[in-house]
Amino acid sequence: MSIGGSDLDKAIAQLRACRPIPENQVRELCYKARELLIEEGNVVGVNAPVTICGDIHGQFHDLMELFRVGGDVPDTNYLFMGDFVDRGFYSLESFLLLLCLKVRYPDRLTLIRGNHESRQITTVYGFYDECLRKYGSANVWRYCCDVFDYLALGALVTGASTSLTPTDGPLSDTLNADTLPDPDAELEIETLSSTGEIMYRYARNSSPQASSQPTSNPPSSPNASTTPSRVGAAGTGATSSANGSTHNEGGAVLCVHGGLSPLIDKIDKIRLLDRKQEVPHEGAMCDLLWSDPDEIDGWGLSPRGAGFLFGADIVKHFNHQNDLSLIARAHQLVMEGFKEMFDNTIVTVWSAPNYCYRCGNVAAILELDEDGSNEGYVRRSNGDAGRLKAPLVQKRLEGPGRRYRVFEAAPQDSRGMPAKKPVADYFL
Amino acid sequence: MASPNLPTFNGSSVDAHAPGHSTDESITRDGFKVTVRKLPILKAGPIEDMTKKLGIAPPEMIFGDNLARIEHPQSGWSIEFNAFDALDRVDKTGESMLKVSYSKEWQENRQKQFEEIKEVVKPFDWSYSTDYKGTISGPQFQPTDKPIPIDLLMRQDPILFFSEVMLYEDELADNGIAMLSCKIRVMPQRMLLLSRFFMRLDGVLFRIRDTRVYIEFSTGEVIREYTAHEEKYDVVRAALVGGTDDVLAIMRDPNQLIKKDRALVPIVERSLDRVVLK
Repeated sequence: MSIGGSDLDKAIAQLRACRPIPENQVRELCYKARELLIEEGNVVGVNAPVTICGDIHGQFHDLMELFRVGGDVPDTNYLFMGDFVDRGFYSLESFLLLLCLKVRYPDRLTLIRGNHESRQITTVYGFYDECLRKYGSANVWRYCCDVFDYLALGALVTGASTSLTPTDGPLSDTLNADTLPDPDAELEIETLSSTGEIMYRYARNSSPQASSQPTSNPPSSPNASTTPSRVGAAGTGATSSANGSTHNEGGAVLCVHGGLSPLIDKIDKIRLLDRKQEVPHEGAMCDLLWSDPDEIDGWGLSPRGAGFLFGADIVKHFNHQNDLSLIARAHQLVMEGFKEMFDNTIVTVWSAPNYCYRCGNVAAILELDEDGSNEGYVRRSNGDAGRLKAPLVQKRLEGPGRRYRVFEAAPQDSRGMPAKKPVADYFL
Repeated sequence: MASPNLPTFNGSSVDAHAPGHSTDESITRDGFKVTVRKLPILKAGPIEDMTKKLGIAPPEMIFGDNLARIEHPQSGWSIEFNAFDALDRVDKTGESMLKVSYSKEWQENRQKQFEEIKEVVKPFDWSYSTDYKGTISGPQFQPTDKPIPIDLLMRQDPILFFSEVMLYEDELADNGIAMLSCKIRVMPQRMLLLSRFFMRLDGVLFRIRDTRVYIEFSTGEVIREYTAHEEKYDVVRAALVGGTDDVLAIMRDPNQLIKKDRALVPIVERSLDRVVLK
């Protein structure tokens, strides 16, 4: 039984209908996927345009909603930052569909590993139980875990445009037209609803609090300086001291599930790790999948007794050292679907709406446009001695234009199951 | 279906009306008014406000607008269960801070490599363990020996009102679970509210802290019982392995962990108090 060509398309169709495929097909699929993934480096190179997605957590119907909002594979080039499984009811269908799509369209889908893509974690948080329930044995779980070990640890997006082409869509009712940037201004951030309404726009170098925020970098164009001040949107970081990214040369975007590691100062060090193993409890690989940004200086220890936290200075220094303009990561639930931090140098993207079917949060995906003029990413030589000495006066690479599409949970009637009403019980 | 919700300027919808979420549910019976409010988790702004007021980072799933409340307008008495007041009772000093199971191994390794990184960021009881017994106004409870009449609650009287509401939940960075929730059932002659804190720190500890509020409508008598259960993870696990039980399922279910005939997680603290409302 081979799963190539039309069989693969059949499997995709079946999984899209949220029906599991037979065990022998899963084995075949996982074997094919492993062959493909083993060829990928620890850090996969991805060219813009690309749509970056965060945690899915087995919420299959919301993954379908994501594809509806963001476009289908292979029309849209996707990058998923891990945590495909656990928590939700359909980890199996969600992961296998993504894996089928990966095998079918290897260049249109990038999957990187999350901390839930691990034997130990899936045993506790649902995926193992789900496989056992749906197949009567742990075989399928084992095949999937073997694939987890081959997933890349990160991705490096290059060729992203520093400005967005404004989306042609209706303005949201709640958007105050006065706050829209000048049509000629270079568009840095745009937020769209699931129906394509424009909810927010932000021009590069425009100051959200013009009177109180002195800008260290002069605006790049006269238009930007005359743009009226506006209140930035939560999630964009434009409400903080950030004035968007400062105008400079373009940089790449590093995507990882969790964050940085004190063991990794250069992306090349990620490339040297031996990733083909269960996620270890400590070390660089563990940190990349587990660590979180926090409002601290430097590195800190999580109060939980394991795990690192890293502050704005760490991110800014790392980005400078590696010619990055942005780090995209997932791993943490954010009510608004995305959250930019540290002067727009890092963003958390969360793609599981109404998380665990009860949080009521929205989800988001991040679209990076292609740089048509091919001026985006200029690789500089590493090890530039001057940079280490003056991390605080370093030049900022211009960040990519960022279009966030925000979406809600799939409507209840698309789930093929009735809304769960709490059953009255004689609890004591 | 196109979303009819009004989006806000920042990308999230105003009422984020996700499946399973609704506004206030309420019933009044013999002068007691029961209200339950279920709304989505807090957005970034309110979370920041709460963090400032509390002095600690709230749990990742914080249902800060939710509540369960029982009011007796005639006497001016009320008891309310909400996330903020529950979290305000969490240790904010880090004195009773737990550590994840692999902490020792992790720390030893770290010390070898990163001696200079040793500052624990904002220490506090991140398991969000609370001994919250509700927020009361009006006549106060007095200690009593009189237990909640379980036999009366065992009767299959019709349930006129039933609701369950989540106050907070945290996945302890994938090291287990901490959650605080409330359940209420109202029968023709009496009602019961159960507020339960359930915490499982994998490889380390179980905690279950229950507050029950029982009301007999005809007498206006309110009895409140608080029971705290606690046991080491290894002890519970050892009692379960080798048997025919689904070990993982039981370790997720507080009802199974504190069953009367087989208390895997025994009681470590108990108190009873009562008030009669006229």
